[in-house]
Amino acid sequence: MSSDSSPSSSISDGLADLNSDPQLVDKRFDLLSLNEPTELERNHPGNGNEIADGSLSPERNNNVAEDEDRLRVGDQRISGEEGLSSPSSSGYAGGRGSSSVTGPSRIGETGEIDDNEIQKLRNDGSLGGITGSYASWVPGKRHVDEDDASISWGKRKKHFFILSNSGKPIYSRYGDEHKLAGFTETLQAIISFVENGGDHVKLVKAGNHQVVFLVKGPIYIVCISCTEEPLESLKGQLEFIYGQLILILTKSINRCFEKNPKFDMTPLLGGTDVIFSSLFHLFSWNPATFLHAYTCLPLAYASRQAAGAILQDVANFGVLFAILMCKHKVISLVGAQKASLHPDDMLLLSNFVLSSESFRTSESLPICLPRYNPMAFLYAYVHFLDVNTYLMLLTTSSDAFYHLKECRIRIEVVLLNSNVLSEVQRSMIDGGMRVVDLPVDSLPRSGSSHLGKQRLTSDSPEMPRESFVGIGGPAGLWHFIYRSIYLDQYVSSEFSPPLNSLRQQKRLYRAYQRLYASMHDKGIGPHKTQFRRDENYVLLCWVTQDFEFYAAFDPLADKALAIKTCNRVCQWVKDVENEIFLQGASPFSW
Amino acid sequence: MASRRRMLLKVIILGDSGVGKTSLMNQYVNRKFSNQYKATIGADFLTKEFQFEDRLFTLQIWDTAGQERFQSLGVAFYRGADCCVLVHDVNVMKSFDNLNNWREEFLIQASPSDPENFPFVVLGNKVDVDGGNSRVVSEKKAKAWCASKGNIPYFETSAKEGFNVEAAFECIAKNALKNEPEEEIYLPETIDVAGGGRPQRSTGCEC
Repeated sequence: MSSDSSPSSSISDGLADLNSDPQLVDKRFDLLSLNEPTELERNHPGNGNEIADGSLSPERNNNVAEDEDRLRVGDQRISGEEGLSSPSSSGYAGGRGSSSVTGPSRIGETGEIDDNEIQKLRNDGSLGGITGSYASWVPGKRHVDEDDASISWGKRKKHFFILSNSGKPIYSRYGDEHKLAGFTETLQAIISFVENGGDHVKLVKAGNHQVVFLVKGPIYIVCISCTEEPLESLKGQLEFIYGQLILILTKSINRCFEKNPKFDMTPLLGGTDVIFSSLFHLFSWNPATFLHAYTCLPLAYASRQAAGAILQDVANFGVLFAILMCKHKVISLVGAQKASLHPDDMLLLSNFVLSSESFRTSESLPICLPRYNPMAFLYAYVHFLDVNTYLMLLTTSSDAFYHLKECRIRIEVVLLNSNVLSEVQRSMIDGGMRVVDLPVDSLPRSGSSHLGKQRLTSDSPEMPRESFVGIGGPAGLWHFIYRSIYLDQYVSSEFSPPLNSLRQQKRLYRAYQRLYASMHDKGIGPHKTQFRRDENYVLLCWVTQDFEFYAAFDPLADKALAIKTCNRVCQWVKDVENEIFLQGASPFSW
Repeated sequence: MASRRRMLLKVIILGDSGVGKTSLMNQYVNRKFSNQYKATIGADFLTKEFQFEDRLFTLQIWDTAGQERFQSLGVAFYRGADCCVLVHDVNVMKSFDNLNNWREEFLIQASPSDPENFPFVVLGNKVDVDGGNSRVVSEKKAKAWCASKGNIPYFETSAKEGFNVEAAFECIAKNALKNEPEEEIYLPETIDVAGGGRPQRSTGCEC
C-alpha cells in the first residue's frame, strides 16, 4: 500500500515498525505537516460543486434516479477542523484532560494508562473476534485504598459514585467508599441545596471537569469526568449504572429507603464490584452504550435460522425470553408472544452474565430487566455451551429450573447436530466485516453475496488498485458502524491497522460518541449528514430514516472518495444483511 | 454477623454558633476539606474512622452552621442520621437554653421512626475557659436536663482536652450498635405469572 502524499516516507517507515511499536504511528502523525489537508479544505467548496455537477464522476450521471439513496455531496455540512483545545490547568489535579490525542502520554492519564498497557491477551480462548480493547483489561475494582486525600485518586479521569439521598456512600469506582463518606456527603449536600431552591442540578463544570448528577428517587449517581465526553454521553452512562443496579436488586429497593432512611444498601451489592467495573469498561469500547442497539455475530442465514427455530420452540413453553449469545454478540433471540427485549436490557444482562462468576457455577439466578419490568425479578437460567457462547432462558416462574434444564439440553443437541456451534466458534475467530474486504462496484450485487466470498487478499489480481492515502481500506477507510433503525441492531467493522491499539480504539469510540451527540443534539439537530476532518480522522456520519452510518477515514482522505466509499459500504451491508443481522421473527417494539 | 463488618454512621452536630463545634471537630477529626462550605451550603463534612468492640466505624459528620437561612435544608441534611450531637458552651446560658430548640427542630425535620429513642449526645464545651470561673451552666443542671429528655448521655469537653470527645463518639457507636436493625432479607416481588407481568412501555404499538 503506497501513498502518494509527500510525507509518505514517514508513513511507510511507520508501517514497518507498526507491529513492534504501535505508539510509533502516533509519533508519525505528529510529524506530518498539516499543509495538505489545509489546502484541501480551502478547495472544498470548489470540489463539492464539481462533483455535484457530475463532471468529475461519470457514473454519477447514470444514477440520478437513485439520488435519494445516495449520499449527496450537496447535503454536506462541512464542520471544518475540530479545534485543538489546548490543555489548560484548572487547578485540579486531574485537569489535564484528553484534548489533543496525538501527543505523548500525559500526567493526568496515569490511571488509565496503567490499566490499558497490560498487553497480555486474556487466556479465555477468544482471539480476534472481539476487539483487542476487551482482551487486555483487568476486571474488578482497583485502587481500593485511595480516598479523596490521595493525589492519585484526584487524577483519575472518570469517577462514578453511587450514594443514597442521606449522603451515605454506596459505591465508588475508585477508592474506599467508607473513606469517601465526607465526599459523598458533599455531593448530597450540593444536590439538596439546589433542590431546596426549587431546581435540580444536572451539571457542574469546573475547569476540565464535568460533574454530572442523576437522581433516581433515593439513589443518586454522580460522574466526575475530565474525559471531555459530551454531557449526553455521560448522562447515558449514569442511566446504565442505575439500570445495572436495578437489574441486580429491582426498583423495590426504593421501599427500603422509604421505610428506613438510614438503610444501608451496600451489603446487598456484595460481590458486584466486577459487574460495575466491567460496565464502566463497556463505556469505552462498546458502541451499544450510545447507539442503544445490539449487534449480532455474523453467521450464515441458515445457521441462524436453525438456532432461532429451536429457541422459538422453547419459548413457546413457559420461557419468556430465549437468548443465545457469544460474548456480547447475539446469535439468536426470541421472545414469547409479544414480549420485547430492549437493547439496553440486553447489554446489562450480558454484562452481568459475562462479568460475574456466579453464572459459571450456579445455573439460575434472579435478575430484573429494568425496561421490561423494573419492579420485579425474573429468573435467568444460564448455561455456557463453550467458553464464550451461552444460552439464557428467562422465565417468570421460580420453580422452572428442571424444565429449563431440559430445554437447554434440547437446544444444545440441536446446535451441535446442525454444526451451528462450530460455525459460531469459527465466526468468533475470523468472522466480521473488514474494511479491506470492501467489494468494488463491479462485483455483482445479488442477494446471495456472502461475507466470506468477498475476502480477497490485497495483492490478488481481482482487487483493483485504488489510490488512497495511508493504510486501511479503500479511500483510507479505517472503520465503520452501520446501525439499522428498524432492527435496532448495528454492525461495526473489525479493527485493523492503524487502529490496532487500545488507546486508538478508545479514542475512535470517543470521537464517534461526540459525532453521535452532535447529530442528535436537540438544540441544533437533528442532522442528516456530517463531514468532519481533524488531525486524527476524517469522520463521516449519515442519518436516514432507515439507518445511521458512521465512518472513520485516514485524516488525509479525499472527501469525494470517502463519500463514495460510504455509499459502497452501505450497499455492502445491505448485500450481506442476512448474515450480519438477525431478521426478526419476533418484532421488538417498545 | 461478620465481626469485622464496617458500619457507617451519619452524625449531625448542632448548636449555636460560637459554642466551639468546629474546634471540637478539628481536634477529633482528620480535616480534609477546608472550612469554606459552611457559609455557602450550611455544613462542613467530615469523616472519622475508629474501631470499637471489634467493629470498624466510619462516622460521617455533618458540622452544620447555625444560621437561619439554612434551616430549610434541615430535612435534606438530617435525613438518615444515626445520631445527633448537641453542643453548648457552659459559659453561655443562652446556648444551653437553646438545646431544647435544637433538639425539637431536629426531631421535626429528621422525623425519625422512633423519636423517643433517637440517640442524642450532649456536649458541654469550653469547661476550661478562665479556669472554670466564668462557668454558668453547672454539670448538675446539664445532666438534669439530659435525664429529663430520655437519659441523654452527657460529656464535658474542651478544645484543649479533647479526650472526652472520643468517649462521646464511642458512646454514639455503642448506641448505634444497640439500635442496629435485624438484617432483613431483601425480598422484592417477582412477576405474577397469572397477572401477566405488564411490561413498562412508554410508547409504541405492539405489532
